[in-house]
Amino acid sequence: MSGANASPTGRSHQLMIRTLLHLAAASILATASLPLLQAQNQTSAKWTPPRTPDGHPDMQGMWARRGAAMAEANAPKTPLSEFGTTGQPYPTVFNTGVITSQEASALANRPTGIIEPANRVLPWRPEADAARREFLSHMIPPASLKYVEPQARCVPPGLLGGDDRHPYQITQTPKSFVLMYEYNHVTRVIYTDGRPHVGPNIRLYMGDSIGHWEGDTLVVDTTNFNDKTGFSQTIPYHSDALHTVERLTMIDPYIIDYQLTIEDSKLFTAPIRIAGSFAAAAKGSELMEFACAEGSQTLPNIFGFGLFQGQ
Amino acid sequence: MSKRAVMSVAFWSFLLALPAWAQAPARGIPRAADGKPDFSGVWQVLSTAAWDLEDHNGALGVHAGQGVVEGGAIPYQPSALAKKKENFQRRDTNDPAEAACYLPGVPRATYMPFPFEIIQNPKLITMSYEFDHARRSIFTDGTPHPDGFPDFWVGDSRGRWEGDTLVVDVTNLDERTWLDHAGNHHSDALHVVERYTMTDPDHILYEATLEDSKVFTRPWKISMPLYRRTEKNVRILEYECVQYIQEQKYGNAKPLGGK
Repeated sequence: MSGANASPTGRSHQLMIRTLLHLAAASILATASLPLLQAQNQTSAKWTPPRTPDGHPDMQGMWARRGAAMAEANAPKTPLSEFGTTGQPYPTVFNTGVITSQEASALANRPTGIIEPANRVLPWRPEADAARREFLSHMIPPASLKYVEPQARCVPPGLLGGDDRHPYQITQTPKSFVLMYEYNHVTRVIYTDGRPHVGPNIRLYMGDSIGHWEGDTLVVDTTNFNDKTGFSQTIPYHSDALHTVERLTMIDPYIIDYQLTIEDSKLFTAPIRIAGSFAAAAKGSELMEFACAEGSQTLPNIFGFGLFQGQ
Repeated sequence: MSKRAVMSVAFWSFLLALPAWAQAPARGIPRAADGKPDFSGVWQVLSTAAWDLEDHNGALGVHAGQGVVEGGAIPYQPSALAKKKENFQRRDTNDPAEAACYLPGVPRATYMPFPFEIIQNPKLITMSYEFDHARRSIFTDGTPHPDGFPDFWVGDSRGRWEGDTLVVDVTNLDERTWLDHAGNHHSDALHVVERYTMTDPDHILYEATLEDSKVFTRPWKISMPLYRRTEKNVRILEYECVQYIQEQKYGNAKPLGGK
């Protein structure tokens, strides 16, 4: 049953060795490819990804998402920012997957965040902008349940709400592309079997995602969102009119380019485009369990009573 | 008996015997590229095990059901049986999955009355459950249970193939889950071995053996079929129990320090 030939120390030792090896490999690659880069400028265009048996790019593995965030210019202050963070990483057990040895060099100069509009000033509808500012002003103390920040009460994170200190895992089948979040144990099954979206009255926290391949790029169309998840701490909610298109393209062994187009006609007057990356995480790492409601004391602390009489 | 009747009996006996003859290995089941049975798809139980693993009568909101425990009764140690009875009395407020929407644990995740999807790859079999968007990763890459990990609400699952049967060894199970709504319970010593065997393209025989030296007098077994959801384009939707219960209990509540 247990067959424990990997002790915790053995495991972290292995990880460290792997990390060092990856670092060494990355620096050799970086040095070796410099002249090439100067010579042809577009080395990455010649790289071809590994393939699944059905011929599509094989992106399976552990990834750390970086840069995909709705960081708007002139964002209103959120009272949460006053609390700051400890600056400490999570305990090791929760972030075994986000050790990305290539991260610093590979992600340098990659586009991140809002790329359209270029000035990062979002095309707010005035009434929607006013509504979120009203929300922010009632957050602390929260005037009622709906003013409690969604992530603090374990609402599924939507497409951008995940905590990127936690890794992601991709697994692929001939009929689906599956993006698993460690954060709040969300599983996005993106069907690539040609099926249509579910009926318009079905509304989902994570939306309904269908995908298709355009060459080596996976294009994911997501609709059927409810209006209970948001984009960021300063945009706590989007509307049920949200429609997103994501494009995932593996550009080298360590990077998946991630492009996200957001349309929400009840919030914004124009589409917004966001860019980010999935960076390869340490090989051999696994998603851990992120249980949320099971341990959270947020709501008891706010409301003065718990939900559960049990243990 | 006429000759015709004898022939008829022989004919029907032959037909009836066919299913037994056809067992192991099951014919006509879908297979993955690596030759293993392909469990990919959406599955769901049609049992009442989520309410009570043992024989039970109907009650308001509870479907009557015949038990799924081999031998009929769960072999509790005396003190553990007393706790089960206490749990039963308080089931409406104390069942972690029903009253607080906590992750259901293993094996309960399998027989919650909700569908789940199996996403199968040679080295990783993922089970994505509609209830609480629970997820299990079943590693079939030969790795052992990690040493020194904490307990998880859905445990740590390592799988292997025995012929056409997927055998999953589950440890690191959090002691706070219940096995059903009737208060059947376990400790942190629980060790579950699940067996998934496809008997035809649309049915999996699900068996689980539970071993817990702190609670039971011996290992015991449950079994039930899993049925493929064959509706066109069926997919896992969301049963976000945590959100529903928050809205129910805190929806009109006045926060401490609120205005």
